[in-house]
Amino acid sequence: MTSSTLLFLVFGLGLVAWFFGRLKASGMQSGGKTSRSALHSLPNYHGWYVALWAIVPAAIFMTVWSFVSPALITDAALTSPAAAALPQDGFSRAAILSEARAIAYGNQVNAFNPLSQSMVEPYREAIAYFQMIGAVAALLMVFACGVYAWLQIKPDLRARTKIERVTMLILLLASLIAIITTVGIFLSLVFESARFFSMVSPIDFLFGTEWNPKAVAGPRGETGFGAIPLFWGTVFIGAIIAMIVAIPLGLMSAIYLTQYAPAKFRAWMKPILEVLAGVPTVVYGYFAALTVAPALRDFAVSIGITGASSESALAAGVVMGIMIIPFVSSMADDSIAAVPSSMRDGSLAMGATHSETIKKVLIPAALPGVVGGVLLAVSRAIGETMIVVMAAGLAANMTANPFASVTTVTTQIVQLLTGDQEFDSPKTLAAFALGLVLFIVTLLLNLIALRVVKKYREAYE
Amino acid sequence: MNSLTEMKRNPTDWQGEAMQKRIARRYAAERRFKALGMAAVILSAGFLAFLLIVMVGNGFRGFTQTELPVDIDFPAVTGGASASQFEGPNADANLQSMGLREIVDSSIEIQYGPDGTDLFSPGGWTAVNAMILNDPDIVEQQATVYLPVISDIDVAYKDAGNPEAEAKVRELGDRLSTGFNWNFLSHSDATDPMQVGIWGAFKGSLITMIVTLLLAFPVGVLAALYLEEYAPKNRLTDLIEVSINNLAAVPSIIFGLLGLAVFLNFFGMPRSGALVGGLTLALMTMPVIVISGRNAVKSVPPSIREAALGIGASPLQVVFHHVLPLALPGILTGTIIGMARALGETAPLLMIGMRAFIATPPSGITDPATVLPVQIFLWSDEVDRGFVEKTSAAIIVLLLFLLTMNALAIYLRNRFETRW
Repeated sequence: MTSSTLLFLVFGLGLVAWFFGRLKASGMQSGGKTSRSALHSLPNYHGWYVALWAIVPAAIFMTVWSFVSPALITDAALTSPAAAALPQDGFSRAAILSEARAIAYGNQVNAFNPLSQSMVEPYREAIAYFQMIGAVAALLMVFACGVYAWLQIKPDLRARTKIERVTMLILLLASLIAIITTVGIFLSLVFESARFFSMVSPIDFLFGTEWNPKAVAGPRGETGFGAIPLFWGTVFIGAIIAMIVAIPLGLMSAIYLTQYAPAKFRAWMKPILEVLAGVPTVVYGYFAALTVAPALRDFAVSIGITGASSESALAAGVVMGIMIIPFVSSMADDSIAAVPSSMRDGSLAMGATHSETIKKVLIPAALPGVVGGVLLAVSRAIGETMIVVMAAGLAANMTANPFASVTTVTTQIVQLLTGDQEFDSPKTLAAFALGLVLFIVTLLLNLIALRVVKKYREAYE
Repeated sequence: MNSLTEMKRNPTDWQGEAMQKRIARRYAAERRFKALGMAAVILSAGFLAFLLIVMVGNGFRGFTQTELPVDIDFPAVTGGASASQFEGPNADANLQSMGLREIVDSSIEIQYGPDGTDLFSPGGWTAVNAMILNDPDIVEQQATVYLPVISDIDVAYKDAGNPEAEAKVRELGDRLSTGFNWNFLSHSDATDPMQVGIWGAFKGSLITMIVTLLLAFPVGVLAALYLEEYAPKNRLTDLIEVSINNLAAVPSIIFGLLGLAVFLNFFGMPRSGALVGGLTLALMTMPVIVISGRNAVKSVPPSIREAALGIGASPLQVVFHHVLPLALPGILTGTIIGMARALGETAPLLMIGMRAFIATPPSGITDPATVLPVQIFLWSDEVDRGFVEKTSAAIIVLLLFLLTMNALAIYLRNRFETRW
């Protein structure tokens, strides 16, 4: 019996249990002597009570069993006569066993090693044996616990309270997944980075200026992992070029749409601008690489700039800036709307023109919110991957020439982790170290931005 | 004395020349500022329009293919095969044993000379295969089939290609025509741009999205209900809230690193599969659903809860019988927006190995799969010029899909928006 059939069977039996529990409870409800009010919970809750008793212990057992049984299966397979021929050396032994296991489970068709073929049959037998034990035990548990719960059904059984307690537990577990994910991200990054830093010194990594992971010297003598050029490229594209595009356009759009535009124009334009944020980044990347980058290179060549590359920081930065416009404009929109209208009306009443009011009153008052929005946009820009992978290039340059090719943290993560992966080489592990830096920097930017926005909001309350 | 002259003068000399000048200057600045704002809006929208025009302009050709007619005299070349041979379950095997490829090639050589097969896309004969399976009667008669030409000629015919191909196009002249490229909708990835299609990637996207939805939606809704309705004010709740807000802002590639380190390396799940892709995207989408779900739950007025509590409902009944149904449209809107973002996501899927060349559509959640955005990325790397229009065509399909999802979200929001 495979585990999925067993799972279906257990849940099917749970349904049956629900039905019987409900039946018994409703029998008590309508059965002459006990009046309706005598039953503490509705029959449905009794049904659920029995069903949960039937399913949950068996499900827990099956989970535990799936962790325990592989070791038992291997032990059992090793007692077979065929195991005597296995080599004693741990590494090749493990390789043969894993191959035999893969064939026995049907994940692999042919064996490379004849010895593993001989181990397949013992494995199959052991698997069948332990699967049967697991299935029988699980089904027995379903019956035992189900019958126990069924016998407990009495008019004054507080089934609803118990069910609600379980449901609350499920709700709490669902919320905890967010924490588990955060911890998972942090631990996996820290753990893999620690392995990287055991091979490459963190100081060389954070302050080195030469990035060339392809030319790794060898064990313990690693060089070429200086990430400064990547950090510069990331900042150059995400925080400088993209923001030069996004801040004026986003801010002015927000000002125009909130202060000047007729309601109907605003109702149309705002969603249209928001589409910019909804376009997949791979589309922007393709657009940048195919259309914007060649145009910019031709332009650079025509005005006589030498060394213009077809993969330029400018192409990636400009397109990224366009993508970021809606973030800046919606944050600016919110914070301008949050300025009390009495301030605006006061300024207008004093005879200031609209633009003077905006420049002298609204923007200064909304500035913390705008700055917060810009910080969020920067964090978004430096974490963005596809645009820079497709348009920014791979050359680790420390240049301020926007027409030159630079590389970024995210580009290098993608480069390091695609293709052959060995999880003990510093080349692969460097990606996790870069990921850790990226994670920490974006986290800090977000926290600062939220703090700024929050502090400012309190000022007018 | 001084104050007296001040009093005699008008409070403000509105009509004075200097004042008029100053006002004119201020009004000009006002108009300039307003025009600047207008320009920013137009420029931003213009970028979007330009992007769409470029993509559609490049992409619409990807839905067509250049074809040449080939007359195949089936009774002559097959030696009188009957239609009944190609019906039923053995049809495909019979076609294989008949050597259809050689038959098509010889018909081409008769009409286009000994080098004729060089004009045609190498996999083009499979169209004849499909045609016979669809309508076996063809093998008993003469038929003219339109077969796709090689990519170079296709590019040269539609646009400007390399000189050799241009010469070929002039030589073939009127015999070239374009037809709708059904292959593009029904095939998977291939090495020849004339044979590629998006069906495999489309199916991969679909399966991945289903996995994502099944995982992210229940967890997101339950977490939103817990945080909004039951969570006590304590450390743990604060921690949950902070981590949800942080997760919503974590760069997507970090989720890819998590998927690689945890799901692939630690749990040993199959690489490139929709299962791991869906799991990774679900972790990314869940915070979006929680945040929008909380807003939807928050907007249900307290009077509903109080009324339900007042007639004796338990706290759980209040939420599941009253609050949740009322908040559901709002939650669904947020879910669709989150799913649309997940559908367009590429970077985390590259990390977990969904960038392999996959020529057969996946049939389960553990099969190697690719998704539309990754397919676009893979095609964008191809040097063959024929891939440019295919990439743009795939982008059109992806954008249409996203627009439909967003339109659905907007429709739902408008349809179910309640003012309490």
